[in-house]
Amino acid sequence: MKLFRRGRVLQATFGCNPNSSSLGVDVTFLLFGSICASMIALFLGALLRGEQK
Amino acid sequence: MKVARARAEQFGGIVELSRPRALLHVDRQMMRELGYPESPLWQQPEGPLSAPTEVHLVLSRRCAAGCRGCYVDATPQGAALSREEACRILDELAVMGVFHVALGGGEALELDHLFAVAEHARAVGITPNLTTSGLGLDERTAERCKVFGQINVSVDGVGDAYRAARGFDGFPHAERALRLLRAVKREVGINCVVSRSSFEGIGEVARLVRRLNLNELELLRFKPVGRGARLDEELTPEQAKRLWPMARRLVFRHRIRVKLDCSFAPMVFWHKPSARAAAFFGVQGCVAGDVLAAVQPEGQFTGCSFLSSGDDSFRLREKWPTAFAAIRGYVRTAPEPCASCEYLHLCRGGCRAVSRAHGALLDPDPGCPRVQEHRARRPLPVLAQ
Repeated sequence: MKLFRRGRVLQATFGCNPNSSSLGVDVTFLLFGSICASMIALFLGALLRGEQK
Repeated sequence: MKVARARAEQFGGIVELSRPRALLHVDRQMMRELGYPESPLWQQPEGPLSAPTEVHLVLSRRCAAGCRGCYVDATPQGAALSREEACRILDELAVMGVFHVALGGGEALELDHLFAVAEHARAVGITPNLTTSGLGLDERTAERCKVFGQINVSVDGVGDAYRAARGFDGFPHAERALRLLRAVKREVGINCVVSRSSFEGIGEVARLVRRLNLNELELLRFKPVGRGARLDEELTPEQAKRLWPMARRLVFRHRIRVKLDCSFAPMVFWHKPSARAAAFFGVQGCVAGDVLAAVQPEGQFTGCSFLSSGDDSFRLREKWPTAFAAIRGYVRTAPEPCASCEYLHLCRGGCRAVSRAHGALLDPDPGCPRVQEHRARRPLPVLAQ
């Protein structure tokens, strides 16, 4: 039986950057750590699929 | 959630959301699930992005303010891109799939054609963002600024601290501009250059962000380029280590969104944050010539706006795949102490512009605490008798 692997969100950057140098660190998001990153990845993935439907 | 558009990359693709405003890197399977066709890029080995996601369009080196640390060395008669040149470059960027442009200068609001250029960016599907000093901004101009995505006003200190940082008393004008802009749109923030002298006053700027109900505070590292090369304003080693704890404190104390520019990456990674979270939220060091590119008012394109040597902007699409090889290859060729740093693939050796200003483009960033500790431990050369 072949398992279906769902697509994933690999990276997320929020907002727009008006600066001469690139947006390097969004302190607010980095503070919440890797568990938060995994949850946001799953959440955004679900929302994207929902948008597609 | 609203998907604005997407483009394919080797790893899958980049999806732009217009609500909430975000860029999502997704894998190939997700691109398929979203209904995008197979891309030839998916057969290629890993490499730089097919195009930058954002480009800084330095519209001019023209500005009447004469700030003492101006990194583009702007003067009242400085060079500027014409409306036609700027629009032609935007057309090129749109074909490449660039998502955002940061319009700046010099003082972009001094150009008669700024709004025409911004409207052209919108017309070709690129979000225009703006950095301004806010000097001379009136109600009518603020109303026209609705065309931009994010607008940040440069405020390096509050009250006298502004004058000390910039060399003139522009704070009341900047604060008025912030109020006028905030009255017409939500996406208004402050850009604050963090220098040796301004470091202790950043808390006051954060308080201003909170008081005016702005949506972000972006802290930018002072770089010794342009007129800034004549100033001794880089952070002390002790300030470099305090930067990340200070930024965290500002978030909690003032309940505001704080961002740090890419050149601050070494100061962040020295504190060993979660590498997985950093990778997911796009926390990176030098992304010049990969995520980011710049177009100079003389028509050259460069890795970022702090790097001076480049190529003809009108050939950006053709040159992009092979350009900036040295900067892109830093992770592979990094010397110590970068080579053994667990965050090298994220930090990418800090800021190339600062390294170049102190010696060579591919030297480790001299402002990095790890580099400073490494150099302090290195034995002094033995002189021949």
